[in-house]
Parts: sequence; C-alpha cells; structure tokens
Amino acid sequence: MRKFLIAALTALAGSTALADEFTEADLERWAAQFESVAQEGRNLWTSPELGTNGVACAQCHPNAANTHPETYPKFQKQLGRVAQMWEMINWCIRNPLEGEDLAPGDPRMTALLAYIAKERRGVPLEPGKH
Amino acid sequence: MRMNRRGFLRQTGAVAAAGVLPVSMVRLAFGQEGQDFTFAYISDSHIQHIRGNEFVRNWDQGLKRAVAEALLEPKPDFVVFGGDLAQLGTKAELDHGAEMLSALRYPLYAVMGEHDYYLDLGEYWSELFGDHYYSFDHKGVHFVVLNSVLTYDEWTYHRWETPERRMLEMAGLDNPNGSPFMVGERQREWLRRDLARIPRTTPIVVLSHSPLQKIYKGWNFWTEDAEEVQAILAPFEKVTVLYGHVHQIQYNQIGSISFHSVMATAWPWPYPETYAHSGAYVPVMTVPMNRADPFNERDATGWQFIDVHTGRVAAHYTLYDNKNRTVAYNAATGRPEDTEYQNPARRIPPQAHY
Amino acid sequence: MRLALLLLSLGAALRVAAQPLGLPPVPIPEDNPQTPEKIALGERLFNDVRFSSNGQVACANCHSPSSVFTDSPLKVSVGVDGLTGTRNAPTVVNAAYNLTQFWDGRSPTLEDQALHPFVNPVEMALPSHDPILEVIRADRDYVRDFRRVFGVRAEDIRIEHVTQAIAAFERTLIAGDSPFDRWYFGGDENAISEAAKRGFEVFLTDGRCVSCHTIEHDHALFTDHRFHNIGVGVNAMQDRIEELAKAFLVAKQRGVDVDVAVLSDADTSHLGRFAVTGDLSEIGAFKTPTLRNIAVTAPYMHDGSIATLREVVEHYNNGGVLPAGAPVNPFLSGGIRPLNLTEQQIDDLVAFMESLTSPEFQQLAQPERVSALGAGR
Repeated sequence: MRKFLIAALTALAGSTALADEFTEADLERWAAQFESVAQEGRNLWTSPELGTNGVACAQCHPNAANTHPETYPKFQKQLGRVAQMWEMINWCIRNPLEGEDLAPGDPRMTALLAYIAKERRGVPLEPGKH
Repeated sequence: MRMNRRGFLRQTGAVAAAGVLPVSMVRLAFGQEGQDFTFAYISDSHIQHIRGNEFVRNWDQGLKRAVAEALLEPKPDFVVFGGDLAQLGTKAELDHGAEMLSALRYPLYAVMGEHDYYLDLGEYWSELFGDHYYSFDHKGVHFVVLNSVLTYDEWTYHRWETPERRMLEMAGLDNPNGSPFMVGERQREWLRRDLARIPRTTPIVVLSHSPLQKIYKGWNFWTEDAEEVQAILAPFEKVTVLYGHVHQIQYNQIGSISFHSVMATAWPWPYPETYAHSGAYVPVMTVPMNRADPFNERDATGWQFIDVHTGRVAAHYTLYDNKNRTVAYNAATGRPEDTEYQNPARRIPPQAHY
Repeated sequence: MRLALLLLSLGAALRVAAQPLGLPPVPIPEDNPQTPEKIALGERLFNDVRFSSNGQVACANCHSPSSVFTDSPLKVSVGVDGLTGTRNAPTVVNAAYNLTQFWDGRSPTLEDQALHPFVNPVEMALPSHDPILEVIRADRDYVRDFRRVFGVRAEDIRIEHVTQAIAAFERTLIAGDSPFDRWYFGGDENAISEAAKRGFEVFLTDGRCVSCHTIEHDHALFTDHRFHNIGVGVNAMQDRIEELAKAFLVAKQRGVDVDVAVLSDADTSHLGRFAVTGDLSEIGAFKTPTLRNIAVTAPYMHDGSIATLREVVEHYNNGGVLPAGAPVNPFLSGGIRPLNLTEQQIDDLVAFMESLTSPEFQQLAQPERVSALGAGR
C-alpha cells in the first residue's frame, strides 16, 4: 500500500506545477488579461457612457494625463479628507460627467484604474503629494 | 438660425456707437498713435450638444461668461474667435455658439478649428462666418487668418466611411487614428502672394488654430509644415502668431516670430510633459498656467484681450477665479515674457507643482 | 439681569475654550500678541457707544454678543439715526480665521477692518478717528488701560492701538465643538441625528457644498476664503451690470471710497469683489462665509435676502437663483449649477447645517420646520 501511495504521489508531482511555481505561459496569459482590461479602460475613457451629458474623461485627460495615480492616497480637497484614487474617479464621474458613482469593485472601475496606471507606468510613487 | 456672414457681421458690428462709455482702463500708448489698439480673443468654446435643446452646461457657461466679460472691457476694436466653436461640428452646436457670440457688439473675425471643420469640411461655418482663410489690415498691422487644421487628403477624403466618423476620429485629442494638422501647399502659396505686396516693416499678426510650431505630435500640438510657414513669415521684422487649440498658456520666439497661445473658455488641458510617455515639452520660456483645480469648473479657462503697440503684442489673460496673467513682448530680450512670473524665483506653487 | 448673566457666561465660555474641537489654532499676528489686559480693553472698546456721531452706536450694536455677534434677524444693519446700509452683518465668531474681512474682502486683517465702520456715514458716521481718541483721552480708565497694555501716554494713543485691542478681543471669539464636530472629529456616533448624517453626505456629494465650504482632515472652517458669484443680488440687476461696472471704475479712478460706496447703494453693493479689485471676472462675487453657527445667524447672504436655510439650499438647487427658472447672470462662479436634489436631500442638508451650532449658542437655535416629507428623523 505504501509503495502504491508513493508511486501515485510521485506521478502526481511530475504532472502538475507545484504551488509556488508559475510558467511563462501563465505570465503571458495573465499579462494579456491585464492588457485587455486596460484596453477596456481606454474604451471607457474615451466613451460618453460613464456620464449623462456626453462628456468623456479623455476630453480633459488625454492619455490619462494629469490624473497622478502615483500620488494616491492623498488629501483630496474635493472630498475634504485623505482619499484613494477610485474615490476621485467617482467625483469626476459625478461632477463633470454628471453620472453615477461606480462601486469600487465594479469591473469598469478596475478597467479605468488599469488604464490610468498603464499610461503612468514607470513613474515613481509619491503618495500624499498634492 | 441661418445667417450669412454679412448678416452676422451686421448683427454684431451694429449700433455700438450708442452708449459708448468712457474708457476707464486707459492703455498707455507707446509709439505711434495709429498703431495702438486692443482686440478681444475668445477661443475653444467646444459647445457640445447632448440631445434636443440640451448642451453641456459647463462649456456653455464658459462662453457666456467670456462674452459677458468682454462686453465690459474698454471697447475692443474687434473680436477674434480662435476656433473650435463646436465640439462635433454640428449645425446645432455652431448655431448655439454663434448665438452666444452675437451678443458681442463688435466686428468678429473667426478662425477655423478642427472641431468645426471635419464634419462638413467647413461648409456651414462659411455660411456663418465666411472664408476659411483671408487677410485684413487694421491700423497699420496686416492680419492673416489661416485654416491651419487641414490634414493629408487621404485621411480627409478616403479614410472614413462617414463624415460623422471622420469628425469623431479627429475629435479625440489623443486618438492614435488622428492625423497631423497642416496649412497645406495651397494656403502657403496664397500666403506668399498675400504677403508679397506687404513691406517688410509692416507688423504681421497671424491668427491660427494650430500652433504653427511642432510641440507635441501625440496631441496635435503640431503643424506639419510649420517650418515652411515660418519661412514665409521670417523676412518680416515683427511677426506674431496667435493660436488656440492647446487650452493652456504657451509662448515662444523663433527668429523674428513671437508665438502666443490663447486659453479655452471650455476646459484646460494638461501640459504635454505631464504625460509621462510623451517626451514632449512646451517651449522652455513658457511659464505654465496655474495647475487647474477641477473643483472649480472655470479654473484655468479664460479669454484674453490683445494689446498691439508698435507692432508687438501683449496678451492679457483674463483667468476666472484666478490672478490674471500678461505675456508681453520684451524689447530688451527680444521675446515674449510673463510680466510677473518669468523669473523662476517669482513663481508660485500652482505654476511649479504639476 | 438674566441677560447680563447670559452675556457674562457667554463671554466666559468663549474665553475658556482653548482650542475647540474642529478648529485649528487661531492665527495671532506677531505684532499684536494676546494678553488678558488687551483683550479686556478690546472688549470694552467693542461695546463703547460713544464712538459714534450720536453716541448710541458701538460695534456691539450690529455684532451683538446676544445674537452670536450679529444683529440677526436684521437683513441689513442699522447705524446712527436709523440709517441702513446694504449688507448683512457677518458674525465675529471665528472671524479670526478669515484671510480677509468684510463680504468683499476689502480688509486684510481684523485690525484694519475695525477702522472702517467708525467713519462710514451709515454706520458710526464719525468725520474721522479723532473723536474716538478724544473720548479715550478724557476717560481715566481708558488712559490707565492703554498705558498698561501699550505703554503709551494719553497724548500718544493712536487709533492703531484701539484697533489692535479690538482685534485681540475678537481673536477670543472662537467657537467649535458643535454636535457635528463631536461626531466627525470626536467619533461620537450619537452626536447628531441620522438626518444630519445623510445631510453631510449630500454636502459632500450631490450638494457639492464642500467645493467652497471646505473641510479638512482634522478641522473644518467651512470656507475656502475665496470669492464666488453665486447669483445673489447680481441676478436682479443683470441688465445694469455693464453700465454700473464701467461707471464704478470711473468713479474709483476719481477717488471714490469703496467702503462708503458699497454700503450706500444696493446695486453697487451687489458688484461685490469687483468693487475692490476692479477685476471683471469677480463681478458679483462674495466671500464664502463659514457655516459654523449658521442656523442661529439668519438671514443669509451679503444682503440678508434669504431668510431660511431651506431657501438657501433651494437657491443653490436652482443653479444660483430664486425662484427656480429665473435667468441666472453670466458671471456665475464655476461649479454653481442645478443640483436636482430631492426634498428629502434638502431637508437633510438643513439638518446637517443645524448640527453646526456650537454649545454656547445652542439655546438660540430653533429647528426650521421641515417639509411634510421629512417629519420623521
């Protein structure tokens, strides 16, 4: 019985990756999934769908410029307290775009954050900077 | 509300004589009396239609406010509208914008913007405002208005299935499917002929939508044939280019040509250097406008009145809820300078903290 | 007698609170430090009716300690001989935090502000500050106090000493620790009603109030110290703006005193900050006041034209105009727009504002009648 068990376990070990391993294929796949979410974010960025008055984020923030994701969390004047980026995105959706808040876990919010971060890649973190 | 150009001008340039009030803010007159004058410059209102009779309130408000304030200034000789009256070039938007502009009781000269042009290639614009490019003389200064938002024929005529699609593609500032602005050979030819009869000492002011420089191609802060246009202007001693499109304060000096951008009434744009992957910078001498406060819809938007004396330009930016700025030609250094903040030691945090 | 006791206890309460919850430290200028004697002297000067042309008007007439240092319920203030001005008296409570004084910010400091009402024709109407100094020099107690506080002899007392003392007294008039403060900064979940909590949410979101009535992480002054045209006063004179603005600039160039001009004519008063700076983009703009103790300092706005908090919210809800649908002036500050608030949201906003009353003034508070919808809390 013991011999059988050892053999079975060894066979199993050879056929799947261990818990702390991931393969090149995994990395590529996951990167592609991020890219598609970021692309969805770009689509939302340029579309009038987030608000009710036709205004799109890209009108004031071409290439997500001037969103400064590297500075969050920070004191956000519009909210009167230290806040996270997604809260400021909701402020923009509510005010210039005259739309409704997105829940923080909403796939659209994730997509927006992914796009913003992607356009800002490489910039060092400076949390709290105004 | 259809109006031909003559009708429009009749309405605006009308009975201004009645009720002319004393000029309280007297501009110091330098040099020859005949060469000093002021004109108002309003630009980039981007009137955006939502549905029915609804337009984006924020942009409407910006244009209304500029017009209301421009009416209060000491009477300008004329008003220039710098382009992008509409957002998507529709008749509804152009009409709504023209209606708001019509409150100005002064002669109006309009410059074409890409948001006005790419739906119907400026057909309705012509009905409202006349020619796309032309020149006129005023108190010894030769003004040239260019349509500097043209682009390659292939993109304009063959790339897109519908005019609406073409307009949408050009409307996105950062759209990779866009196409660079240019003045184009036909207008350059016209410009050469127009300027051939002008003495080299006559001051020239060029009114353009695109910058007639190459600043950042990704956002079409760019004129593809900038060098050729500049070469045509270079022989003249005093040339100023006033341009819109960028929605921010920029200025520059290239040879004998001074460049000044004008503000948008609708919304501000960030400087190209704030986009980490642009690799682009505005001219070094530009002192940035204050970083916009999104809280305040009108912050970093505004309009300007342009003083011309001895053929040089001083641009006075009327900035809402903010301290006004003046960028004027400095004869000592031979370039435009911010009269208050040019010295880096004098800058305030909102100008440096982007 | 009861009134006197009330005033005494108010004064005591105000002076004892070192730093009330929800407020930052009071800014004290280096050249006018606080001392108990200076403060007491300033209080006396503040209440002295002899510094007026008819001997009946003191600062305290329009900034009365029993009315949160305003003259509520008056819309505009009344000076000597029943003369009225054009503006509603702002409260002195927490004025020490303002970066400028007066509705149009024409005074940079408390010290400077105190100079003006003495010589304004519709306030104390003195021909100059000299009569004040004469009264002081003839008063033995004043002479003694000025010497003790400023080290000056009677003949060397100047009006600057007077205003410094008054300002020192005013810097003690701070009040926080409202139910809102105890909830938001103090963590007391039961300090305010559910309606007020909902109202605070509206304040931050759909109401957009926090845009100008700002709050910070550990304190709240409820003002951005800036000047905004929110459509009060100026809406009604839209047709005359062009004519008036130009005429005013001409008059100013010829030397008219802004302080006198804005209090003498309602339309001139409505020009707001423009009268001070001459900047066209500030036509009809007024300073954002604090919202602290707002429920007990009615009526509202620079001309006292809005009687209740509910109507104030309706004014904003309409996009800067009362009644709804009337034309709005084009110089409106960025951010004023129709809000589309529900009746419930409006009631809740009012409830929130009522929670901003400091304990010292609580007894003056009378909750506004809410709409039929908001009867339950």
